[in-house]
Amino acid sequence: MNFNLVLQGIFSALFIASVLRISTALVLPALGGLITDLAGSINISLEGTMLVSAFTGVIVSGFSHNVWLGVLGGILSGILFSALLAYFHLYLGTNIILAGTALNILASGGTVFLLFMLTGDKGSSSTLASGVVPTVNIPFIQDIPFLGTVLSGHNIFVYGAFLLTFLINKLLYNTKFGVHLRAVGEDPVAATSVGINARRTKFMAILISGFLASLGGLNLSMAYLSSFQRDMTAGRGFIALAAVYLGGRKPWGTVLAAILFGIADALSNQLGTLNIPSQLVQAIPYAITILALVVNGIRTRSQLIEQTKRFQERELSRANTEEQK
Amino acid sequence: MASLVEMRNIVKIYSNGVVANNGVDFQIEKGEIHAIVGENGAGKTTLMKILYGSEQPTSGEILINGESVVFKSPLDAMKKGVGMVHQNFMQVPSFTAAENVVLGHEPSKGIGLDKKKAIEATKELSEQYGLYVEPTAITESINVGMRQRIEILKILYLGVEILIFDEPTAVLTPQETKDLFKAVRVLIEKGKTIVFITHKLREVTEISDRVTVMRNGKIMGTLKTADATREGLARMMVGREVFLDIHKKPVKRGQKVMSVKDLSFVSETGHTMLRDLSFNLYASEILGVAGVEGNGQTELVEVLTGLREPASGSAVVDEKIVTGKTPREVRQAGVAHIPEDRLSNGLSVSASIDDNLIVDRFFKPPFKKGLVIDQQVVENNGKELIKEFGILTPSGELPVSSLSGGNMQKVVVAREFSSNPKILIAAQPTRGIDVGATEFIRDQLVKKRTDGTAVLLISADLSEVMSLSDRIITMFEGEITGVFPDASKVGEEELGCYMLGVKRQTAEEMEALL
Amino acid sequence: MKKFFSNPAVREVLRIFIAIGSALLLGFIITLFISKDPIGAYKAFLTGPFTKFNRFGDWIEESITLTLVGLSVAIAFKANMFSMGTQGQLVLGALVSGVVALYVPLPATLRIPLALICAMAVGFIWGWIPGYLKAHLNANEIVSTLMLNTIAIKIYDYLLVFYIKPEDAGYNVSAIFPPEGTLPSFIPNVPFFNNIYTLFTKNTDITIMLYIVILAVIVAYYLVFKTPFGYKLRMIGSNIKFARYGGIDTKKTMILVFAISGVYGALAGAHMTMGIQHSIITNISISMAFEGIIVAILARNNPLYVPLTALAYGYLRAGANIMERSSDMSREMIAIIQALIILFVTAEQILPTVQKRIEERKEQNSNKEESSLPDGGSHEL
Repeated sequence: MNFNLVLQGIFSALFIASVLRISTALVLPALGGLITDLAGSINISLEGTMLVSAFTGVIVSGFSHNVWLGVLGGILSGILFSALLAYFHLYLGTNIILAGTALNILASGGTVFLLFMLTGDKGSSSTLASGVVPTVNIPFIQDIPFLGTVLSGHNIFVYGAFLLTFLINKLLYNTKFGVHLRAVGEDPVAATSVGINARRTKFMAILISGFLASLGGLNLSMAYLSSFQRDMTAGRGFIALAAVYLGGRKPWGTVLAAILFGIADALSNQLGTLNIPSQLVQAIPYAITILALVVNGIRTRSQLIEQTKRFQERELSRANTEEQK
Repeated sequence: MASLVEMRNIVKIYSNGVVANNGVDFQIEKGEIHAIVGENGAGKTTLMKILYGSEQPTSGEILINGESVVFKSPLDAMKKGVGMVHQNFMQVPSFTAAENVVLGHEPSKGIGLDKKKAIEATKELSEQYGLYVEPTAITESINVGMRQRIEILKILYLGVEILIFDEPTAVLTPQETKDLFKAVRVLIEKGKTIVFITHKLREVTEISDRVTVMRNGKIMGTLKTADATREGLARMMVGREVFLDIHKKPVKRGQKVMSVKDLSFVSETGHTMLRDLSFNLYASEILGVAGVEGNGQTELVEVLTGLREPASGSAVVDEKIVTGKTPREVRQAGVAHIPEDRLSNGLSVSASIDDNLIVDRFFKPPFKKGLVIDQQVVENNGKELIKEFGILTPSGELPVSSLSGGNMQKVVVAREFSSNPKILIAAQPTRGIDVGATEFIRDQLVKKRTDGTAVLLISADLSEVMSLSDRIITMFEGEITGVFPDASKVGEEELGCYMLGVKRQTAEEMEALL
Repeated sequence: MKKFFSNPAVREVLRIFIAIGSALLLGFIITLFISKDPIGAYKAFLTGPFTKFNRFGDWIEESITLTLVGLSVAIAFKANMFSMGTQGQLVLGALVSGVVALYVPLPATLRIPLALICAMAVGFIWGWIPGYLKAHLNANEIVSTLMLNTIAIKIYDYLLVFYIKPEDAGYNVSAIFPPEGTLPSFIPNVPFFNNIYTLFTKNTDITIMLYIVILAVIVAYYLVFKTPFGYKLRMIGSNIKFARYGGIDTKKTMILVFAISGVYGALAGAHMTMGIQHSIITNISISMAFEGIIVAILARNNPLYVPLTALAYGYLRAGANIMERSSDMSREMIAIIQALIILFVTAEQILPTVQKRIEERKEQNSNKEESSLPDGGSHEL
């Protein structure tokens, strides 16, 4: 009975709408992770970048009483933050994993430090009245019963995320920059030999990933919630990274994987009402990622076995036909 | 009239103190094919790298059409019409041929790419110069000859007038070489100028108009090819007669030590890399595998040494199947392995020389004593091998990265030879190393064989295979196409036909010769 | 003088000092702007651990944990495995040792070793998983360990909230461990040591873990540098293809590296519950594992240097806590200093990187036979 209620909840328009909302904070950084991954620089500071932007957005909008200034500040801080990563990695020879780790520590501690300095609170910015970005009601569609609830009435980041998926896909496969970026990621020597500046390309890739992660962070603190919470990204930057792998390093695959994580997250909220311990439900997306790694690994391994088998069958049938002759 | 290119008093000293070019004066005339020959390390590639901008000279001047130029990067050089056809293809594997041709200078339409135009441009160039490529083929799946043509098209696309070829035939079959030469002549007809780096004198006399000989970073002379003889050029190159023949005592071949039966291998992508390979290997013989690279030799070695599992078939040593076993089990069976890529497989360059010399033995006594590795034994092992194999280093504790290419290979050879193997699989044992080390390693291989070791020699250098081997098999597209029981009685042309799959012995013929 | 500075060891030490020094300086500049009493705050930060005996104890306790997580990271990094899994191993080590300490009705002499062994076992298993995934399924270890960390934390929270927490407790905390489940002081309670024993136990929680950690360092050092296993580990770390070619069972070694790294991580967790907290608490040191990365990097992944860098680093952390208590500065300032230290230390690799590039180029050249002259050949003609 209770179970039925949950089932109804899952298949409702509201649930799908909530998946879209929850996924946005994963889709955006996942796209950022994809770009850096294709450029050959794994960006593990997506987490920190989101946090910094979420924080800056709230602080700027809170003190300026202007939502858009907050968004702008958040984006700029995210780009600057990733510029730091790019600079240390590309110009000072720091291992990108270590630099990323350092920046994550900096973001996690630094935001709390500044939060405390600015508001006197270490946990959240709730004492500061910060802005929330507007939601968009799509004319006509909002009046269609099911579809209206699913598609209309989301905040601008939700729409932005899907628009950006298109744009990033175009960028990667239909522009000079995208081609150069993939060339640099796959074979930097070949790319450099035709005059592509590998370092500059990677720098740009990291900046773009910073931009995308910053939108993800702002989505958390200026849309999903209306305040900054200590460590509010809660590992989303890392999940985003996992989505890149799960999605086969392709834009739409990555986005789908991110949405899958979003579904799991939304589900854990729904199932929570079933008296299923929320901790275990929350662990599901992480377990799925591990599972995906396992499946992916088994698939590659079995491919070889498959090929071998096919080869043997081919040879066998060839031998047979020759015998018949 | 000024030469098309004039390089004046070029000096290049690398940061490690190596003087690669020592006061070189060099001219290229318009419309000529100019060959540069020299032994490994003579400085010819450095000179060309300076010309196309990838290295900057320590001192000296470059003039193009009488105008002084400074190239900070290959791009600068390309703007002035100088381009390099690299030996290691500079291509992104997952891109199409056309995408690689236009890489870095893609035609665009607004902010997007004009993919159609890229394909058309590739087709056009391809037809204009008779360099056939399939514009939409994915680069990683096409053959070496076409990849080289992509490489040429790439610089033609940028409007280069002077094309520098760096040992272009090293990776080609004789037939592909002929095609390349044909294309080179077309290029000349269309008004291009060509510089041709090689160490094959036969190619010099076949294709070039003029030839420059380099030795020890200096130019020994430039002459019209018509006036040059191969012997004369050879003398200029090394200052003594080159003898291609290696003196090896005739030895009676011993017992069968390895027998390979119906060995096949399929890659992850489903390509059949080896098909039904069968051959025997005997003590006291060098069995050479001749073939153009990429015809399954790499896979054969990897399957035989335990690095890959065969799809079917087996190799047997001492009545024990060694295929499908781990590399250690294969080593325990008495198989040593000089890998074709020493940097990625054969050595750990950041580890010490001593540590590199024990990878196959650290786990057994006397190296392992109780729970730990006896450092004294490791050190002594290093000292002995460094001395015996003439590895030039002040200490075995230094990382391998401190050695030159030739000495690195000596580390590999020292380790593999000192394990007293029954079977030695040597893949490209002298690739990319200096003359001294090459000679040393070839001598050692012959010595091992004379002492009773069975040697399987895989080399892209046909003359190496021919001069070292007792017996030769040819490989083409993963299959054995011919067996030649007496290496001294078969000619280069003949082998070439089998390496290219033009000729093929019947199964019965081959079986009789195994 | 010049020679002195070109000595790599000297340069290494110097570089780390410069990195820490400049990070501290930047921290001070930040303090100058923010604090009303910057000198006082920074003095508390820098001298804190020596101002009171219990603060000294805090420092040592922190350093013990840091040494263990540092070793955990160093062992994995030395094999070039970018394991981020120490966090999860620590959490589960804390959980399991805590459960044994709480519930297993054995005397201290058996219960404590059992708790430690169980923690190590669970660390071994939790490390084994990403190792297996990487070795056999080629799964990216950064992704898998990060995922496993969160799963471990969720398991920990779940068990704590639903089973371990006493029903009447207001917070998510277990009952306080009985003495049989608490690590004893590092000074034996025998007549001869009576005075010192009281002095230390009254003010500090320095436990026998001090001895275990010393042993752990020695074991790790021998493991990495002296044993056949260590040789395999280092060869995998420097060139895994070479290791495979040479006959090393790379997969088995790789898995063991992860598992052993897990053992150290779990020991750190055991120390936190049985040595410091004496209970299973919620939110157990989320960041500690990443601190392990810093300690390991500063020590250049050499187990012998790990306790030194842990002490230096633990000093800063202990100082930051004291600063927070005695001034208007928040201890999170340490995060800025931490990040700067990592960046400076690893960025200082700019020198080695340049050197390496030159060497690589040299190698490439001689490899392709392009520039180097034959051995011993005279360059002058």
